[in-house]
Amino acid sequence: MPDSDDRPDVGQLWRTWLTETERQWNTFFNDVMGTDSFGRFLGGYMDIYSTFQRLVAQNMERSLSTLNVPSRSDIVELSERLSGVEERLGAIESSIDALAEAVGHPSEPAAVTQLRPRRTRRPRAQAAEAQ
Amino acid sequence: MTTVRTPETPPIPEIFRTEVVKRNLDRFRRSVDVLLDRDPPVVGATPKDVIYAKGTMRLYRYRPVTDEVYRIPIVLVMSLISKPYILDLSPGQSLVEYLLREGFDVFMVDWGVPRPEDSRLGLEYYALEALPRSIEEVQRVTGEKEVSILGYCLGGLFALMYNGIVQDAPVANIVCAATPVDFDGMGLFKRWSDRRWFDVDRLVDSLGNIPPDLILRSFELLRPAQRWATYARLTDNLWNDLWVKNYRLFNRWVNDQIPFPGEAYRQMIKELMWENKLMKGELDLSGRRVDLAAIACPVLHVMAEHDDIAPIDATRPLTSLVGSEDKEDVILKGGHVSLVAGRNAWFRLWPKISEWLGARSV
Repeated sequence: MPDSDDRPDVGQLWRTWLTETERQWNTFFNDVMGTDSFGRFLGGYMDIYSTFQRLVAQNMERSLSTLNVPSRSDIVELSERLSGVEERLGAIESSIDALAEAVGHPSEPAAVTQLRPRRTRRPRAQAAEAQ
Repeated sequence: MTTVRTPETPPIPEIFRTEVVKRNLDRFRRSVDVLLDRDPPVVGATPKDVIYAKGTMRLYRYRPVTDEVYRIPIVLVMSLISKPYILDLSPGQSLVEYLLREGFDVFMVDWGVPRPEDSRLGLEYYALEALPRSIEEVQRVTGEKEVSILGYCLGGLFALMYNGIVQDAPVANIVCAATPVDFDGMGLFKRWSDRRWFDVDRLVDSLGNIPPDLILRSFELLRPAQRWATYARLTDNLWNDLWVKNYRLFNRWVNDQIPFPGEAYRQMIKELMWENKLMKGELDLSGRRVDLAAIACPVLHVMAEHDDIAPIDATRPLTSLVGSEDKEDVILKGGHVSLVAGRNAWFRLWPKISEWLGARSV
């Protein structure tokens, strides 16, 4: 039935309108946001945002310190020390692996050592030519 | 006299079988799924092993699915601003899965979610420490001397910085996707971060890492009407399983932003946005000059025609800057994300990457 119908497809008209409207609004907003005054406004907003965040962080730090509770910076410091320990452990592990390999007992994890596909693949065209 | 026949009302079960009713019931069911985020689509499902970790960074090796692979392994390097599962989106829609099926040995550098203490990490760390260390691990695991790098967005920039500084880097091929090099072409981002009104030091000193919400909002500002138009399209397509699945996949990734390491952000703004030093050949990392003209390995550069995040004006000059003789530009329709994961990617980009790298990976 709809194949022989000459009436316009309202759904398709709506989709076209939506795409066109989206494009026009985006162009309009991009023009506005590309002006110096918008840049200045955005810069001012970022300054207020940064200042607000810094004040909140400072007050929180002070309050937590008064309550004798670890603050964010204490946790960050702890995390840094843990990262240091992790890195040293990694370095020790690598040294042990290198030593083990040197004496003929490689200690790589099984999942990695088992993945030894032949590295001889050629592109299809080259492979066909070779045959 | 003609008799007028009243049409018989179909029985109730027949009404529910009509196309219009079925479609609307499907719409309702899917809208509930989307609203409640019920049965979210699986992402990043290709089997992999972590072969190296440092801080939040992880180097993955995807398990090969063919008995025979190309000699040179591929290392995918992700951008800093988003999660890497865009390259391994969903089974059947994954670049990683495609490359594995094409016979590549695939690795991925995932920078992870930066922690507060990572705010001190600059571009040097990513380009000259973490990336080379990951390549060393790939060499160790595969026994190969060289690798190919496929960098997406800033991932491509790290590959260029590394190869532009370390002239004997063990890199056989570079593929860059949507990688900006001329920051004068960054459009609204360039305008908003103008030094006359944008105090990057104050922002980074106050916040440490740049919050993901701030990054997401800045992307949304590039196309302010897109969000509402997408909701309208979603309502229109709620009956379509595939459309809704893709919407949920991409929407999840877009909203799954991560913080941007503060020091790297400061350098990006000062050195690249303000001074455009990479383009001018004046960028130094750890006191060493990034000389793109010294890059001699084959380079494939893929750009999106309607990319808002890395506009084509910012990406286009890449191949003219590198010294390679074997270099190629590919411009595809679409945007920053659809370039690597959309329909365009499945049918055009992925086969192109496979063909280009395959010929240079034996």
